[in-house]
Amino acid sequence: MIATIAATVLYASSGGGDGGGELAFLLAGPIGGAAFYAYVYRYYRNQDKTHRFEQETIVERKAEITGDDRKVGENNGTRQRRIEGDNINNHRQRVRPIE
Amino acid sequence: MTSTPESPPPPPTGAPVGGTPPQPAAAPPPAEAAVPAAPPPPPAQPGDPASGIAEQVAAATAPPPPQTENARLHDGVNRCPRCGSTDIQLRPATGMLVCLFCRYEWSEARVEERFGFGEGIRDLQGTIIASGAGDIDASVNDVITLKCGGCGAEVVVQTATQMSARCHWCRHMLTINEQIPNGAVPDAVLPFHLTHAQAVEKIAAFAGKRRLFAHSRFKAEFTPENVVGVYLPYMVVDANATSDVVGHGEVLTRTYTRGSGDDKKTYYDADVYWLHRRVEFAVDDLTVESSADRSNLDIAANTNNIINAILPFDTKNAVAWNANYLGGFTSEKRDQNVEAITPRVQDQLMSIARSQVEGSVAGYDRGVRWEQERLDLHGSRWVSMYLPVWLYSYYHVEGGRGMAHYIAVNARTGETMGSVPLAKGKLFLAAALIGTVLESAVIAFLVATL
Repeated sequence: MIATIAATVLYASSGGGDGGGELAFLLAGPIGGAAFYAYVYRYYRNQDKTHRFEQETIVERKAEITGDDRKVGENNGTRQRRIEGDNINNHRQRVRPIE
Repeated sequence: MTSTPESPPPPPTGAPVGGTPPQPAAAPPPAEAAVPAAPPPPPAQPGDPASGIAEQVAAATAPPPPQTENARLHDGVNRCPRCGSTDIQLRPATGMLVCLFCRYEWSEARVEERFGFGEGIRDLQGTIIASGAGDIDASVNDVITLKCGGCGAEVVVQTATQMSARCHWCRHMLTINEQIPNGAVPDAVLPFHLTHAQAVEKIAAFAGKRRLFAHSRFKAEFTPENVVGVYLPYMVVDANATSDVVGHGEVLTRTYTRGSGDDKKTYYDADVYWLHRRVEFAVDDLTVESSADRSNLDIAANTNNIINAILPFDTKNAVAWNANYLGGFTSEKRDQNVEAITPRVQDQLMSIARSQVEGSVAGYDRGVRWEQERLDLHGSRWVSMYLPVWLYSYYHVEGGRGMAHYIAVNARTGETMGSVPLAKGKLFLAAALIGTVLESAVIAFLVATL
């Protein structure tokens, strides 16, 4: 818990990576307090907990995964660390069906 | 401006794929950050004539659904195989049935071997529904009247919560074992393994770690001894499926900064790829709730997610139905059919597919945005089961709204999860105090360094 708060405060104090560190440093108190509240709330209520069926169910791959990878362009000069709409880890987010 | 070129993307691997984005030899299409591309051609659809014929052939040659009814037992008096007594109970420590009169112990057969539920999953075609998982007939009453085989008296059993009753005249135990179409008798039952004392210990330990900010009324009324052993209804599903997912991924090619001092900013260059992945997989014993109430996981309205979180169970050890396994426990009967549960199962299978392909796109170090997906469920097998849960329930009213907070223990594995009502005012004050201390430290630091 302390590590989580420290990391949050550290991130705030660094201004999320660019400039404005001193000003963001002043947000350490509110962010630290809010992080503590959120951590304890989650620890007591466990609203984020469900069966991790993706990992806890026996799954046998019948064949190697197949597919295609085609370069279709470049995304240069972006300030975003990740692709927009990154959902590689969000397995439960449903997207449009392939018709 | 400083520039930090990244190492070039990994070489192509072709299909099958293995976690690194390939570099095609041909010139790429026009450079757009995210170009929608046509997904791969779909397989034969159910409406296609060829597909329809194939389905009819598969249906005609499909084996009959497994008949899981325990033919040795019937509704009413079922006796100990050795002495003939009807006072039979589960002995959780061994998972065996024990005759309370002669102490003889025995067990029903595991359904995994008896009905071959662990076999042929990768070749499943069509929908196979075991006899205990069939559709519920709304006209069948939950209340069943049994004629006592000992004295002839009529005894009523409310199958919504109980599967046995004692004859009030001759004291024989009467049990429900025939698969009537009201969802009360499943294909299999997984007996309790943890005892009441062990469950109390786990619940007390779980709540004990959460005393400081627990609501005062919860702490005052906390009585772990009131934990109830309940068999909850689940559908255990085997599936043979193929899934396609389509999207875009990015590979970092360069990181650099522009500006100086406070205006220094970091920029990234990336190559954009169109991706398609196909995974063929077989899933063994995917377990989902088959009660409409329990399958509602709306965290704003209930704490059913707590019961969901103690999955999975060792469903391979489930045994053929015998109502005596339920003696001393309550049960909640299934009220959903395969058709109602199917969308949830398909959703979970799609999530499993997305999890399976994750490793194959690990080389896209700026992440992947999946945009389209499809699941082709070739075959599935559905088995209804009662699974054992120790459940502590506390009804807490807050802001005029009541909610049952559960602490649940998986009565096979001991996995424990719960929801403890919070003293929110106390927590807010503690958070404010921590925030104030942090802020004071920061201000002191800034003053000292200015």
